[in-house]
Amino acid sequence: MVKVYSTPTCVYCATLKQYLKEHDIAFEDVDASKDEAVFEEMVRKSGQMSVPVIEINGEIVVGFDKEKINELLNIKEQQ
Amino acid sequence: MYDLIIIGGGPAGMTAGIYACRQGLKTLIITKGFGGQMAQKSVEIENYPGFEKISGFDLISRFENHLRRHEVDIEIDSVIELKKNNNGFLVLTKSNKEFKSKTAVIASGGDPKSTGASGEKEFVGRGVSYCPVCDGPLFSNKDVAVVGGGDAGFESALFLSNYVRKIYILEYDSKIKASPANQALVKNIKNTEIITNASLKEIKGKVLVESIVYNDLKHNKEKSLDVSGVFIEIGYEPATSFILDPSLADFNKKKEIKVNLDNMRTKTPGLYAIGDVVSGKCKQIVVAAADGARAALDISHYLKNE
Ligand SMILES: Cc1cc2nc3c(=O)[nH]c(=O)nc-3n(C[C@H](O)[C@H](O)[C@H](O)COP(=O)(O)OP(=O)(O)OC[C@H]3O[C@@H](n4cnc5c(N)ncnc54)[C@H](O)[C@@H]3O)c2cc1C
Repeated sequence: MVKVYSTPTCVYCATLKQYLKEHDIAFEDVDASKDEAVFEEMVRKSGQMSVPVIEINGEIVVGFDKEKINELLNIKEQQ
Repeated sequence: MYDLIIIGGGPAGMTAGIYACRQGLKTLIITKGFGGQMAQKSVEIENYPGFEKISGFDLISRFENHLRRHEVDIEIDSVIELKKNNNGFLVLTKSNKEFKSKTAVIASGGDPKSTGASGEKEFVGRGVSYCPVCDGPLFSNKDVAVVGGGDAGFESALFLSNYVRKIYILEYDSKIKASPANQALVKNIKNTEIITNASLKEIKGKVLVESIVYNDLKHNKEKSLDVSGVFIEIGYEPATSFILDPSLADFNKKKEIKVNLDNMRTKTPGLYAIGDVVSGKCKQIVVAAADGARAALDISHYLKNE
C-alpha cells in the first residue's frame, strides 16, 4: 500500500505524484491540511510537519527521496 | 553523449531546455524538481509578461508542459559533481548515475539561507520550514513566526494568514524592507504582529517546535514567543555545492558565478551558467528565462564551430 500525504499548494508533492504515476505505482493521495485526523496521523507516523511524506508498506519516507522510494518500490530506472 | 546537460529545472533551466530542443540539440535536464523558487511564491506572480496574475504552481505547470512537448531527456535527481574531461563534461548524481555531454549549463539557482540560530537545523520539517506554500496549510489554527521582513516574508505572512491563528514577523533591522504595497496588505490582516530589531537566537521544542527565543536588539533583552511553526524567509544563496573544482569558473564575493552576460559563457569553454546562480543583479523569472535563451542559442553556435 502506498500513501502520499501532501498539501494542494506543494509543488514538490506534485513532482513526487507525477513520478509515481510515470512508474505505474497506484497510491492513495491524502491532503494532510484538510483533515485534523489525517494531519495527526502523518505527524505520529513520520514525526514531520512537512510535506510530502510517503508511506510505502508501512515504511515512511520524508520528502521526495528518490533512491529510497526506488528501493522500496523496486523501481528500476534506465541508465 | 549529450550535446548539453542542464543542471536545474527552474525558469532558467526549463527555458534553456526549450530553446536547445528547438535548435535540435540532444538535451538532458537533471533537476531535483521543476519550478525552483517559483514553487516558493506565496502570492500570485504579477510580473511575468502575458499573465497579469498567475500562481507559481500554474506558471510552473505551463513551463513544464511546454518543455515536455519537446524531445528532452529528464532526470529527477540531485547533481553531486560536475567535472570537466577531455571531450566535455561529466555529471554525477546522488543516485550514482553518470552522464556525459559536450557542453553544460549551470541553472541551479539558489537555496534558502539559514539564520544560524540554534535548533534551526534540528527542527527542519518539525516546525521549521523554508516553504510556506508547501507546509503552511499544515499549521491551521496554530501560532507561527516568519523570520525576515522583506517581500518574501510579508508575502509568506499573507499566504499563511489564510490558515494560521497568529503570525509574528521578525525583522533584524530597525526598518521593514518589504514594499509599501505588501506592507499595506499585511496591515489589513488580523492577528499579525511585526517585531523589528529582533535577532533570532534559538528554536526550542521537544519533538516539534514549541517556542523561539530572540534578542530584542533595541532594549538588549532576550524574549520568547510560543509558536508551532517558524518560516525562514531571509533570502537565497547560490546553489553551487556540486562545483568541487573551483577553477571551472570565476565567482564574485557572493559566490555567484561570473559569466559574459552577452552569451552566458563562463571562463571554461563549453560551460555556461544562467539565472539566479550568476552574478547579474536582477533576480527575476523573466531574466532567468532570458538567460536560458541566450545560453542555448550560443551553445548551438559553439557546437557548430567547434
Ligand atoms: C519567495 C519568492 C518570491 C519571488 N517572487 C518573484 C516574482 O513575483 N517575480 C519574479 O519575476 N521573480 C520572483 N522571484 C525570483 C525568481 O523566482 C527567481 O529569480 C527565479 O526562480 C530564478 O530562476 P533559476 O532557474 O535561476 O533558479 P531557481 O528558481 O532557484 O531554480 C533552480 C533549480 O535547480 C535545481 N537544483 C539546484 N541544485 C541542484 C542540484 N545540485 N542538482 C539538481 N538540481 C538542482 C532546483 O531544485 C531548482 O529546481 C521570487 C523568489 C522567491 C524566493
